Amino acid sequence: MPVPALRIRGLRKAFPKVVAVDGVDLEVAGGEVFGLLGPNGAGKTTTLEIIEGLTTADAGEIEILGLTWERYGQEIRSRIGVQLQSTSLFNKITPREALDLYGSYYPKCRTSQDLLQLVQLEDKADAYHITLSGGQQQRLALALALVNDPEMVFLDEPTTGLDPQARRSLWDVVRRMKGEGRTVVLTTHYMDEAEALCDRLSIMDHGKVIATGTPASLIADLDLPSVVELTFEGVAPDPAAFAVRLGQAVEPRADLWEIPTSDPKALLPRLLEAAEAAAIPFSQVHIRRATLEDVFLHRTGRSLRE
Amino acid sequence: MIWRQFLMEWRLYSRDRVAMFWTFAFPVILLMGFGTIFRDGGGPNLAVVRVQAPMPTPRDAALDQALTDLHLKVQSLPRAEAEARWSRGETAAQLEADGAGYRLRLNSYLMAQAGATAGLVNQAWLVAQARLSGAPEPQRIPVQVESPGHKRSTNYASFLLPGLLGLNLVSMGLFSVGMVNVSYREKGKFRRLAVTPLPKWIFLLGQVLHRLTVTVIQAAILLLVGRLIFGIQNQGAFLDLLLIMALGTGCFMAFGFALSGFAETSEGYAAISNLVFFPLMMLSGVYFTLDAAPAWLQHVVAVLPLAPFIRALRAVFNDGAGLAGHGVGLIIVTTWGLAAFALAVRRFRWA
Repeated sequence: MPVPALRIRGLRKAFPKVVAVDGVDLEVAGGEVFGLLGPNGAGKTTTLEIIEGLTTADAGEIEILGLTWERYGQEIRSRIGVQLQSTSLFNKITPREALDLYGSYYPKCRTSQDLLQLVQLEDKADAYHITLSGGQQQRLALALALVNDPEMVFLDEPTTGLDPQARRSLWDVVRRMKGEGRTVVLTTHYMDEAEALCDRLSIMDHGKVIATGTPASLIADLDLPSVVELTFEGVAPDPAAFAVRLGQAVEPRADLWEIPTSDPKALLPRLLEAAEAAAIPFSQVHIRRATLEDVFLHRTGRSLRE
Repeated sequence: MIWRQFLMEWRLYSRDRVAMFWTFAFPVILLMGFGTIFRDGGGPNLAVVRVQAPMPTPRDAALDQALTDLHLKVQSLPRAEAEARWSRGETAAQLEADGAGYRLRLNSYLMAQAGATAGLVNQAWLVAQARLSGAPEPQRIPVQVESPGHKRSTNYASFLLPGLLGLNLVSMGLFSVGMVNVSYREKGKFRRLAVTPLPKWIFLLGQVLHRLTVTVIQAAILLLVGRLIFGIQNQGAFLDLLLIMALGTGCFMAFGFALSGFAETSEGYAAISNLVFFPLMMLSGVYFTLDAAPAWLQHVVAVLPLAPFIRALRAVFNDGAGLAGHGVGLIIVTTWGLAAFALAVRRFRWA
């Protein structure tokens, strides 16, 4: 069996007021895109920063590419690429200069021209960093993570704060990294991003990994892999009385009710009848497959975005 | 790697035009200001406040004349005005009639000026008495103003210039460099570097070298202005001056970097750097001599880096001395510099 690209055992990190990482085990195979999904404050970034050598753990073992930080720090640094949650560069450095400069720190590096092309930043190659938009700065950060042609890339919330179009173009870059055979570990609190990009992922909450698997298997493992939604015009009413009448759990959301089920075909007639009888003023009905969002909800009782 | 780091520091620095302008302009402005104020001669002029007598006697007139002849600046004021000025603390020495003779009041806060003035007033009084009685004027010992290096007499601006160079460099090291370092760290500008294999010492050395060249340029501008406007010439060898400046810059930059490793925030750094700067400054012997200080303190002061640095700078610049007499001093500066740099590398954190 090949050595995993990343292996973590019993990782723990406590800050004065909170235990950020509470016994995390992870294993990432070479060449896969692995995601850490969880809400803000789940411990994703701390976990990643410990792996990257930015923070020291209180306990636990880490092996990156078969190497440990204690003995092979410099070698690990030269073989991994890192995008920090916020990459703060000097205001008046240009993307081209930044790529050349950071490239010079490594024994092997890619040309700035290649990288600029890869992240579609050729137009802005000679503009000061401070004049770039958020999306452009993120793309530059991504290019910087690739400057040493790394075997393994760590991306911390690569698309947070970006508009939908900028997110798509970043996803393309991540897919290209995988295509080039790199192992990618990324954190995100967007379940659609995790579903679209990750081969496998771990869901984190309160410093613990609560589930690990492929997106499909995580969803399939749910007892109730489908969801029926009743949408309202305006704010959804309190579903407590209706749930009793229906004999099934009903989760209120902003403008809809969600009813998880294993058999939507059987539920639907019963549901419509009950809604009719209780004079529920819903406007539309949807049936959808459960998502990672539902997995998180099911495991924690909370929504990802809460 | 160092070269690249150094070039990038320069390139980024040169883009901040405003900061760069002031870095180079400030010492020049300071020199122009002081140099103009004290343009003629040796520092502040001595002055005495003369309380006007209601009806001046010939004796008063003779004394006033003698005071003027001895180059004392005499300010004649009515009693009320003189008293007001005295209580504001602006007068160093005040001369007034007292019964059959005169009385001289000296301001205990301004003893350096007041003491010198008192000597001159008493001389003037002897001269005036001789003149009134028709006796021959008392002989005065001839006085010659010289710089301590015995080379040639220099004016205040040339005394000021090496001090400005030195002080400017110390404050740049302790305040600017360290502060910039802490604030960049606070803003997370170094975090991205932490995940690269770049060694800390190369990063720090690149910055020190960059600052070193900034200082040399700054010094060159200052020397040029001093020469063109005030006719101040460097009496020593430029290479000696360069060496002293380089050692001093390296030393105090390293101080700044080392201190920045002890502060979490910019505010904290301001406190720490002042804590180091003021004793260094006060004990450097630049402002007052420490002859009266206890022996143990003098021993401590003898191994601090600021005094030997400024002393060597002045000796070379003002008196044209060589480096020979300042070996020990420069070794002290270098030792502090190396120790501080080692501490800086040890304490430096990327985030």
